[in-house]
Amino acid sequence: MRTMNFAKRNFKEIIRDPLSVVFAVLLPLLLLFIFQQFKIPSDNYRLENFTPGIVVFGFSFISMFTATLVSKDRTSSFLIRLGVSPMKPVEYILGYVLAIIPMIALQNVLFFILAVVLGLPFSVHIIWAILVSFAVSVLFIALGIIIGSVFSEKASSGIASIVVQLVCFTSGMYFPREMLGKGFSKVCEFLPFESCVTIIKGVMNNDLAGITPRNIIVFAAYTVVVFVIAVVLFQKKMLSDNKGS
Amino acid sequence: MFAIETKNLVKKYKDLTAVAGIDLKVQEGELFALLGTNGAGKTTTIKMLSSLILPTSGEIKILGMDIVKDRQKIREILNVSPQETAIAPNLSVKENLEFMANVYQIPDRKEKIEELVKLFRLEEVLPKKAKTLSGGWQRKVSIAIALINEPKILFLDEPTLGLDVIARKELWTVIESLKGRITIILTTHYMEEAESLSERIGIMAHGKLVDIGTAAELKQIAGKDTLEDAFVELATKGGAPA
Ligand SMILES: Nc1ncnc2c1ncn2[C@@H]1O[C@H](COP(=O)(O)OP(=O)(O)OP(=O)(O)O)[C@@H](O)[C@H]1O
Ligand SMILES: [Mg+2]
Repeated sequence: MRTMNFAKRNFKEIIRDPLSVVFAVLLPLLLLFIFQQFKIPSDNYRLENFTPGIVVFGFSFISMFTATLVSKDRTSSFLIRLGVSPMKPVEYILGYVLAIIPMIALQNVLFFILAVVLGLPFSVHIIWAILVSFAVSVLFIALGIIIGSVFSEKASSGIASIVVQLVCFTSGMYFPREMLGKGFSKVCEFLPFESCVTIIKGVMNNDLAGITPRNIIVFAAYTVVVFVIAVVLFQKKMLSDNKGS
Repeated sequence: MFAIETKNLVKKYKDLTAVAGIDLKVQEGELFALLGTNGAGKTTTIKMLSSLILPTSGEIKILGMDIVKDRQKIREILNVSPQETAIAPNLSVKENLEFMANVYQIPDRKEKIEELVKLFRLEEVLPKKAKTLSGGWQRKVSIAIALINEPKILFLDEPTLGLDVIARKELWTVIESLKGRITIILTTHYMEEAESLSERIGIMAHGKLVDIGTAAELKQIAGKDTLEDAFVELATKGGAPA
């Protein structure tokens, strides 16, 4: 009840300052469209490979605007007000997550519609991919909450853009990670972004064999750990002692 | 039983002592004003008393309940109007009121909101987005919101800051009307405000409560004719910062 009330408020805050939403949706759409206009002779840019990359790329913007929303709230007195109310930490976190899920839905539906328009064969697996990507998005929302809990509003968007860059370079969406050498490739394997893309890709293309146990383990471990850190940090920074310092 | 009772309340930020041992007892229904120079520790004290931050050491009892153990229960019965205006910027005034009513799960939400709208004369700004209001209006809304859960204990941190003379007088009337029913702790830099509204006044300097008493008592202690002179005398007599 309190959670939904807070989610509703967050949702309104987001859509009434729509610039970030526009960013998170339009930029990936634009990239998806543009890269299909050149006939790049690399498998990376075939729709069945590139679309999952775009989905995860879009999520990195979700991290960015989650971070902005959280840090804006944290540094405003509005949170003092909520901090003395009976609201519980878990209600805050769920309130943020629930408010952002409609954005994820909007992104996903539009990305896949464009992909199908551009020639991706439609199948029921696309629906599964959309559902799986909701699960993947939790990692990015949690990353955003962490960044927003630690940094000021201005610093947040800068720090969050590191997530965007990491997705570009380590997810394998633009180039195979082996291209930058063995060491780099190993690092990518232990970052979550390549696994996120591979999981969505495997489900979308009905190629579950393409998803390795490592992908599942890395993704699941990061999601759990990052989510727990998000809850703990948020609680510590937002609702306690160190407020403002 | 006291509405508020503290024992040797201390708050340290790293090596800075913001509040340096406060013993305070406030009666139920009393209006208690805190005066103090900038940085004296008024806001920090209010943050501790209102359960927002934990004290470094010391004890706080609110209506007999322990602020740490009974935090959740205490939070149902107090509210704060923070020093800086605290409203959701992209929500309308009406939505702000509804939002906070839901946070406190007020049963007769509509009636309560109507009552506050009347009390603070908010009719004309109800549909406006909070961030588009003038500072004074935002403040009035912020204070109105603090009454949404009919708190037994209300903290007003510089409530009349930024209000024009008429709005200030109006707010005084509202505060007067709450007197007796609600225990109110108010901070202010306006002597007139403390003198005309409060039963007792506490003077803070360098994290300490240096004197407590009625306006008349404080003037007598300091040997001055006006509260302002008494305040200057009492707030500076301690000398060097803690
Ligand atoms: N979060 C914090 N971290 C570090 N120091 C802090 C923090 N909050 C307050 N302080 C310090 O504690 C002291 C008391 O501050 P406080 O805000 O309580 O003063 P105040 O009496 O409310 O002053 P004012 O009249 O200016 O509002 C100040 O020196 C302030 O710099
Ligand atoms: Mg203050």
